[in-house]
Order: sequence, then structure tokens, then C-alpha cells
Amino acid sequence: MHMNHFSKASVLTLISVLTFVIGWELYWRSQHLALSYNDDESLWAHTRKEIYQTSPSRPVLIGSSRVKFDLDLAAWQRVTGEKPVQLALVGTSPRPLLNDLANDPNFKGTVIIDVTEGLFFTPDGSFPEREATKRVEFYPKWSLSQQLSFHINHLLEDHLYFLDEERLSLQPLLTDLPIPPRPDTWGGPKFPKEFSVTRFDRQNVMTDAMVADTSIQNQVKAMWLEIGSHSPKQGVDGPLLTAILNSVKQSVDRIRARGGKVIFVRMPSDGPFREAEKMGYPREKYWDRLLAHTQTAGIHFEDYPVLSKYQCPEWSHLAPKDAITFTEDFIPILQQKTGWPINVNGAKVPATTASLSTHQ
Amino acid sequence: MVFNSYSFALFFVLLLVLHNLPLPWKVKKVNLLLASYLFYALWNPPFILLLWLSTVVDFYAARLISREQRPMPRKLLLTISLVLNLGMLSYFKYGGFLLENFTLLLSSVGIAFQAVKPDIILPVGISFYTFVTLSYTLDVYRRKTDPEPSFLNFALFVTYFPHLVAGPIVRPEDLIPQFRKPHRATSQQMTWGLFLLSLGLFMKVVVADTLLASSADTVFGVPFPVQPLDAWMGVMAFSGQIFCDFAGYSTCAIGISLCLGFILPDNFRYPYAAIGFSDFWRRWHITLSTWLRDYLYIPLGGNRKGNVRTYINLMITMLLGGLWHGASWNFVIWGGLHGIFLCAERLIREWTGQRQRSFAGKNQADPGLTESMAQASMVPVSLNGKFRDFGLALLTLLLVDITWVFFRAPDFGSAMKILLCMLGVIPDGPALLTSLDILKVSSVTVVLIACHWLMRDSSLVQLGKRMPWWLLSLIWTGMLILLILTQKSSNSFIYFQF
Repeated sequence: MHMNHFSKASVLTLISVLTFVIGWELYWRSQHLALSYNDDESLWAHTRKEIYQTSPSRPVLIGSSRVKFDLDLAAWQRVTGEKPVQLALVGTSPRPLLNDLANDPNFKGTVIIDVTEGLFFTPDGSFPEREATKRVEFYPKWSLSQQLSFHINHLLEDHLYFLDEERLSLQPLLTDLPIPPRPDTWGGPKFPKEFSVTRFDRQNVMTDAMVADTSIQNQVKAMWLEIGSHSPKQGVDGPLLTAILNSVKQSVDRIRARGGKVIFVRMPSDGPFREAEKMGYPREKYWDRLLAHTQTAGIHFEDYPVLSKYQCPEWSHLAPKDAITFTEDFIPILQQKTGWPINVNGAKVPATTASLSTHQ
Repeated sequence: MVFNSYSFALFFVLLLVLHNLPLPWKVKKVNLLLASYLFYALWNPPFILLLWLSTVVDFYAARLISREQRPMPRKLLLTISLVLNLGMLSYFKYGGFLLENFTLLLSSVGIAFQAVKPDIILPVGISFYTFVTLSYTLDVYRRKTDPEPSFLNFALFVTYFPHLVAGPIVRPEDLIPQFRKPHRATSQQMTWGLFLLSLGLFMKVVVADTLLASSADTVFGVPFPVQPLDAWMGVMAFSGQIFCDFAGYSTCAIGISLCLGFILPDNFRYPYAAIGFSDFWRRWHITLSTWLRDYLYIPLGGNRKGNVRTYINLMITMLLGGLWHGASWNFVIWGGLHGIFLCAERLIREWTGQRQRSFAGKNQADPGLTESMAQASMVPVSLNGKFRDFGLALLTLLLVDITWVFFRAPDFGSAMKILLCMLGVIPDGPALLTSLDILKVSSVTVVLIACHWLMRDSSLVQLGKRMPWWLLSLIWTGMLILLILTQKSSNSFIYFQF
């Protein structure tokens, strides 16, 4: 072995790799992409640790993507003085998370459950249910080594744009290759990179490009249509639906038995997305029945003019600016609906459009 | 702590700095030992007690065995060590499996017995460090090696972090002599070690986790049959994944150790270019196959007690080798299939050898004819040597891939379902894998087979020496860039569960 041989190779490698990293980072910065954190199992577990210091002013949020986009955590903090614990998971059912909170004897806090019917009412073993279960199962196994790695990763993610596993790592880059699809197969949705970013508190926000550019919005809309074409047109029914409702009630009752508080929320959606939801998951059969079966209060955006005045740029989530005012309007409604002791700094309670039966 | 994590990167840099400070050798060894305990404890701290127990008992048992001259007390001391090591392994690894099968056995004879399902967590690496400590006690018992007088050297031999959780399974002579005198990596060892670490991480993170794992998981994860193409792709994906995952770990371990100045034994030698199953086991998980040969197959009698006993010994060794991988009948079937293939290969060799000898006797005047006869008996058409060998290597790989079905499938029924799909017996399942999945799996498989075939009689270090330095740098850079592009992947190595 010649020392020169390997030393020269290692020096050239070091220079080449450093050059690549700098160039790669500069390239992505030039693409006007905002910094995004990996919404992975470690970030979820890190957030999950905070559930023991919750209160009505600092609730735990579980659900799917809508609550991650639509409730602005900074705005919530401005109004109540405290920031919610965001545990919702994109594209999943919140039921495994609800069950996890119910099974944790030390959890006695407040839970706001975002209901996106197509994800919430999915049977055990389905993809949305399995993905959420994976996070729940990961939490107790989160080793000291993984925790240390998470904190080191956080330091790097704070400064490097290209450390964005969801959008800029090898896997999504390969997925972008123009390869003709195999007949009868679907590789899952491909959202444009400009759609959204994840903040360290796990809130999702649309990028400026997404808000400004209707062509990007149309790409996301096309993805919703594609997902819709691969999803069941009708929701679960019969004994399967009853079993889901029973399991939710059981979890809710256990949290309440320990002094905890629970409420369901239905975040805005519009356009063809909302129409498809109305067809597949009629309100009276799913939302109303969920509230009645679990004897729990709920806030449906369509019942409040201030919550239903928004237009979702891609039919399913609010733009960042709208999420702020939505949140500011949402908190007083929550307070009025539940009577929970939420610290609201002078916010007014908007009028409702419908008088709903309060089950609590 | 896994090698593919930021926590390990920090740990390794700090350890390298510490190891290269001008400190006494004993202090450096203490540092390495404490670092190894930290490396292990960051998974699950309480399990470090098992490691200590095994270390202390085997150190003193070996000492007493060596001093004792009377056969019975020697046997008793060996038994204590075996019972402790194999007892811990059996409890943690096979406790649930034994109870489940005991329950099934009772119910099959009409006795209703419902046992509480034990909630046993398998300590990471227990199968590996148990074999390491067993080899030491057995070697001392056989007087093959003297007991190590230094507890520090012995504890470091057992606990040395690069091999601790997934091998290579080291023998006393591999490591203990290296701990006796000061070791520090030369600059060549350091750079080559870093290259091996990069290669191992590339194999694990880029190839196994990013390019192959999802296809294998998809095909083996669905409860229904799939199209034959998908079944084949899933099996080929797992075949590549398990190699890149496990060989990637071993390559990392060897590279990391080299950076500290210690040499670990090779664990893989291009197994997918093996011609026949005996060749495969000389190339796949070498430290396990040699361990099983030396401590199980040979003590059973090996091939010294006639043909029938040889075949029985082969089968016992491979069945237990399969069971070593995990508490499941599928692993036993996997080992059994390898045993059957090894026996069949031995039979063919004996048969062709006899034919060759009898043919050579009749045709002493024409030795060329004997050679062509031998070739014809292995492959039905007359081919030149290289081409024939390549064909046999592909046939071996095909059979190895069939055994992987049992290794990967969650249960026997799922394994049979995949096999039937592969054979086209169930042709009408849905297509699952996308064009990109198929492209990834087939490209990696072709490159893997080509690399193994081209490198089968060579070694990486020889290739590294022959290659122009800029080309070596280009390959190294490419691997690191892909590794960075893949970003963090802290997926555990498959062999940790064994």
C-alpha cells in the first residue's frame, strides 16, 4: 500500500465532497425554498414528551394535516400565552394517537382532535392507521442514542436547507425522474416541493410560492384528485363504523375519567374536495354520530361564519395568513363551546350560524 | 448506537481523538472499554449487566479450567460457562418460541394449556457476544489457547464495540494479542479504514435502505398474492438488501477498527459469485460459518465418521445455524434448505468424482476427455470454464434467493405464497411495484452480481492498490455524495435482531 496513493485520494475526496455540499446548499437556497424540518419519528417523539404539561390553553393537537396547517401555533400562543403540543400526523388517522393518550396514565390534559373523515374513519390495519401506529410504537423505543442524534440533527437542520428528507433527499429526487409508469400501479402522490414546509414545532405552512402561484396550487389539486381516484368513494359503514366509534368512545372516556378534556374539530375544506367528502362521508352519518356516540363537543367550521369564510388555495388547507386569523377566531369559539378556562387576551367571541347541541 | 447515526459520528470522532492522545496504553484500553460500554448502553442500559455477567463468569471459568487438571472438574466448569451463556441466549431469544411450541404440542395431544405470553426484550447482539465468549472458554478447555491473564484485555475482547452487536464473530486469537501491545492506526490504515467505513455506510444507507428495502417490504408485507414479476423483484430486493445491510455493517466494523489500529477478520467475500453452497458458506458470514464448523460440525464428527454421519452432521449444523438467526420455524427451514443443498452438492461431487475416476481409468490415454466429461456432468451443455462457472454461480444465487424467501417472510404460509407467485402457480395477483422500484432493484442486482463476479478472486485492498488514486477518489466521492443525498437514515441493521 502506498501512503501517497491513499492520502492523495482522501484529500481529493474531502475537497470534492465539501465543494459538492456547498454547491448543493447554494443551489437549493437559490430555488427560494424555505427551511423545513424533517417531520420524522424523532421530532414526533420529542414533541410527545411535552404532553404532561398541557392545559386548555396548551392543548395536545392530534389529527391529520389540516390541524397542522390551519391552527397557527404562534397565533395561539399570542392569544393564550401558551403554545399547543402539535402531535398530528400528515395523512394518518388520529385514532392510534388518541388510544395512546388514553393508555398513558400520566396524561390528564386537553386534547383537540382534528377529524378528516376519510382518514379518521379508516379501519385498523389500513395505511393511515398503520402509519400513526408506527409513531406510537416508536416512542417508548426512542433510545438515548437516537435522542442524541436528534439533537445533533436539529443543530444541522437549523442551518442547512438541503437536509430536507421529505423533499430533497435521494428518494424524492429519484421519484422525480421521468420514468413511464407501470400499468396498474401507483407510487403514491407527488406533491410539488413548494407546497409546504414543516417548522420545528411541527406546524406546517404553505410556502410563499405556493400561496402566490396558482399553477403550483393546481398541481396540489391534481394530487388530491389522484388520491381520490385511489381511495374508496364511500366511508366505512355498519359494524365496522360502530367498532370505530366504540373504540374512540372508550379512549375519550378514559381520558375524561382521569380529569382530561376532549373536543373534536372539523377544519375547513372546499371545492371538489369538500363535495367528495360530503358524498362519501355525510355529516349526519359520521360527524354528528361521532359527537353523539362519544358524547363529546365538536366545532365544525361550517357552523361558524368566521371559520367558514376562508378559501383553501388547494381545497384542503388554509394559507398561512388565513391560519393566523382562523386561529384567533377559533380560540374564543372553543372557549364558548366548552367553557374551558382558556386564557384569551381580549379576543371577541364570534357569532355562530347554527345552534348545535353541546354534548358536554 | 448504530453506525449510521449522528450520535455515532460524534462518538467516533471523540474516541479517535482520545485514542491518539499521548496516553499510556492501559489508559487507552480503559478508554476503549468504557466507550464500548457506552456504545452498548445507549441502546438499553440495563442489558449491560448481562454483558458484565458473561464477561466475569467466562474470564474466571476459563482461568479455573486452565488450572484444573482433573477431567471431571474441568467438564463441570465448562458446563457452568455453557449453561450460563446458552441459558441467557435461550431465555431471551427462544423463551417465547419454546413456550409457544410447548403450548401447541400440548394442545395437539388434547391438553388445553394457555400460557401467559412472555414479554421478553431481546438484548441487542446477545447471539454475537455469546458466541465470542463461548469460543474463548471452549478454546481454553481444549487447550488450544491459554487463558488471558489480563481482565482488561479479556473484557475488551468481548466488548470491543465494532464487533459487539453484529460481528464479525471474533476468536481470542483474532483480537487479544492485538490488545497486549500498543496499537495506533498508521495513516494508511486510517485512510483505508475511513474508506471502508464510507463503503459500509453506502451499502447500508444508500443501497439497502434507500434503493431496496421498500420493494422487499412491499412484496413481503402484503397478505395477498402478487404478480410473478413483483414476487421475483421482491425476493431479489431482499437478497441485495440483506447482503448490503449485513456486509455493510461488517465493512463499517472492520473500517472503524482499522482507524483505531486493530484488524478484524473478514466476514464476506463476494458471496453472490459463489459456485455451489460450500463455496457460498466460505464467502457468506464467514466468521459464523467457521464458528459452526469448529465448535459444532467438527465436534459432531465432521466428515470423519463415514458418509451418512457426514450428511447428518451437515444437516444438524445448518439447522442449528438457521435457528441461531431467530426463534422461528422459518429460520429452521432456511437452515434446512441450506443443509439439503450442501448435502446435494456433496453427493454430486462424490458422484462426478467417482465417474471421473472410473472414466480416467478407462481413458488414461486421453486426459482431455476426462476434463470434458467432468464439465458435462455439471452442466448439460459443453461450455468453456469461465462461462460455465458464471452459469453455476447464477444457479447458486437463484437457489440462495429461494432460501431467502423463508428468511424474510413473516411465516411459512407467506413464504409459500411468494414461492408459488414466483413459480407462476398463482399468476393473477395485482402488480405492486412501480417502474422506478423495478428499475432500482434490477439495476442494483445486476451491478451487485457483476461486482461480486469481477471481484470473486480478488480483494478490495488489492483493487484499491491497483486503481489510480484519482479513480479511487472519484468512487469514494460518489459514495459520500450519495450518502449525503440520502441524508440521515438511522434504520437499525437487520442482523441486530439476531
